Amino acid sequence: MNNRVVRCSMFVAPTNPRYIDKVWTRGADVYILDMEDSIPPAEKERCRSLIPESIPKANKGGASIYVRINKPFMDADLPSCVWPGVDRIMLPKTESAAEMQYAHEIISRLEKEHGIPEGYVELSPMIESALGAVNIYEILTATPRKIWSMGGGGGYDMAVNLGIEMFADFDQYAFPIAYVALAAMALGIEATGGVFVHNPTGRVDQSDYAAKQAEALHAAGIRQSGSLHPAFVQPLVSGLSPTSDEIKWANRVIEEYNKLADAGESVGELDGKVIDKYEYDMAQRTLHWADACAAKDAFKARALARAQAEEEKKQKPA
Amino acid sequence: MPKYIRRSLFALSIEDSRSGEKAYHSWADAIILDFVKKAGQDWQEDIKSRMPASINQAAKGGAEVFIRINSEAAAAELVATVFPGIAGVVLKGVNGGEDIKKVSACLDVLEESRGIARGSLEIDVEVNTAAGVWNSVEIARASPRFGTFTANERELYRNLGMFPEPVLEFEPLEYIKSQLITVATSVGGQAQGFSYPLSLTEKDAGEDEIKKVVRRARDTGFKGAVCPHVSWIKACNEGFRPSPDEVAYYRKVREVFSEGLKRGLASVPIDGKMIDIPVDLRAKLYLEWADRAAARDEEKAKAHEKPAS
Repeated sequence: MNNRVVRCSMFVAPTNPRYIDKVWTRGADVYILDMEDSIPPAEKERCRSLIPESIPKANKGGASIYVRINKPFMDADLPSCVWPGVDRIMLPKTESAAEMQYAHEIISRLEKEHGIPEGYVELSPMIESALGAVNIYEILTATPRKIWSMGGGGGYDMAVNLGIEMFADFDQYAFPIAYVALAAMALGIEATGGVFVHNPTGRVDQSDYAAKQAEALHAAGIRQSGSLHPAFVQPLVSGLSPTSDEIKWANRVIEEYNKLADAGESVGELDGKVIDKYEYDMAQRTLHWADACAAKDAFKARALARAQAEEEKKQKPA
Repeated sequence: MPKYIRRSLFALSIEDSRSGEKAYHSWADAIILDFVKKAGQDWQEDIKSRMPASINQAAKGGAEVFIRINSEAAAAELVATVFPGIAGVVLKGVNGGEDIKKVSACLDVLEESRGIARGSLEIDVEVNTAAGVWNSVEIARASPRFGTFTANERELYRNLGMFPEPVLEFEPLEYIKSQLITVATSVGGQAQGFSYPLSLTEKDAGEDEIKKVVRRARDTGFKGAVCPHVSWIKACNEGFRPSPDEVAYYRKVREVFSEGLKRGLASVPIDGKMIDIPVDLRAKLYLEWADRAAARDEEKAKAHEKPAS
C-alpha cells in the first residue's frame, strides 16, 4: 500500500469554462483533465492548447492533476500535457506493452525538455477492453516507470467491447476487474478495482449511490474511486476516509498488541475479538491512512482558503 | 459486438433418422452434429458414408452446421466428418493450445483435399475442464481459426468436483464464465452459454423463465447458447440480440448525441444518463447488431420457403 490520497478523482473538460473555472471548489483529491471522451473531435486541438492554463486552475484547491490523453493521438497530446504540476498521464484503452513503451519514451523526452525529474510523471494504463485485460501483466511491466495504483477492467468501453448492456443487477466484469487487480497486486501496485454495487438507473449524479459505492469500497479495503459528476465527490472523499471509530479501534488494537508483545504473547482478545499480528498490521494501516487523509485534507483546506482569498481580492473594486 | 450471429445452437445426432427434419423445424442459427462410433465395423467408413447427406439435411433451414469432435481422437474423427457444407468443428475436451494447433493442421489438409476454401473452417471450443479454463488464453490464441468458447456447465461442474444441482442462490461459475467471455472477445471471437440455475436444466423450462435466463446470459456477455431443448431456441433467437426497446433507445441516443456534437458538446444527458462518445459508439454497434440479426432471420426465412426434404 502507498499512502497517496486519491479518494475521489473527477474528470473535467478543459474546453468548458463552466466546468474548468469552478472545478477547484469541488473538493476532489484529483482532477483529471480530459482530452479524450468528453472532448468532441473538432475541439481536440483547442483542448491541447488549454492544458497549461487548466493545470493551475484545477489545482488551486489543493488537488493533484492527472491528464487523460487520446491513445490514437499520443504524439500530439503528450507534448501538450507533460508539464510540471501533472502527476499522471492516463493512457486510455491500453491493450499492449508496445503502447506503454511508446508513451514512456515520449514522456521521458518531455520530462527532460520541461525540467521535470526523470520518471516523475506516472504513466497509468486504462484497461477498457478484453484484450487489455488479458494482456495486463505485460502492460504493467512494459516500462520502468512507476505505477502507483491500478484499477479498471470495467466501465463503458469494456461494455462496448464485450457487447453488454451495463447496469444489470449482478457483476458483469467478474473476471476482467479481478484479473487486473490480481496482476497489480502481484506487482506490488495498489489495486483500486471496483466493487460491484447495483446502479439500476445508470445515473452519474446521485450522491446516495456514491455513498453506497464508497461504503462497499471501504469494506473491501479499496481507497480510491472516480467520478464524472461533482455530486459524487463528497460522499467518496468522506466515505473512503477512516471513520473516528475505526481510528479509535486501531489505537486500542495497537495498545493491546504492544501489551501482548511485552508479555511475550502473540494472541489476545479485545472486546471479544481476536488480536494478533494481522489485526495489528491492519490497525497500523488504518492509522497511516488516517494520517495521509488528514494531511491531504489540511493541504486542500489551506490551498482552498488561499484561492478563495485571491478570488475575493479580484472581485473587490480597485 | 458479436462476430457471428449465432444466437441458438442445437445439437442433433446423425443417428437420429429425423435429425434433418428436426434441424429444419428448430429455426436454430446453428446445428451441431454428433455421431456414434459403432462397434464391430469400420466406424470411419460408416460415418464418412452418411455425413455429407446429414450435413446437407441439417443446413436446409438456413443453419450453419458444425461437427462435434473429441479432442483426444480428433485426427481420426476429422477425417470421417469434415465435408463441404460445414462451418467448422466444435472441439470437446481441449486442455491446451497444442490441441487446437493439431486440429488446425488436420483441417489444413482436409480443406485442401475436399475442396473447402483454405482457412475457412472454424474451431469452436467447448470448455468442460479446469485445464480448458486455465489455458483459455493460449487456446484462443493458438489458431486464427478459433471462433468461440462454449461453457459446458454440466461437465465443468463434474470436472470441478461440484454437484450439478441448481440449489445455490448465486452463480457459482461467474468468474469462469466471465473469463471465457473476456478471453474469447480479446481475440475477436465470442462465447456461448446460459446463466445459472437453468444452465443445468435440459428440459423445457417455460417461456418466461427461459427469457429471463437468456437476458442474464446476454448481460453476462454471451452471444448465444447451445439449447438443451428445442423449446429454448425461439427465446435465444429473440433474446441474444438488441430488443425493439433497445433499438428505439439507441436510435434516440444517436440522434441526441449528434445534436450535441453540432453544439460543440461531446457529453449530453438523456434522463440523467451521460451520453458521450463510448455510449454513442455502443449505440452504433447495437444498431448494426440488430440489423445483422434481422438479416440472419431473413436468410433463414428464405431457406424455409423450400420444404425440409
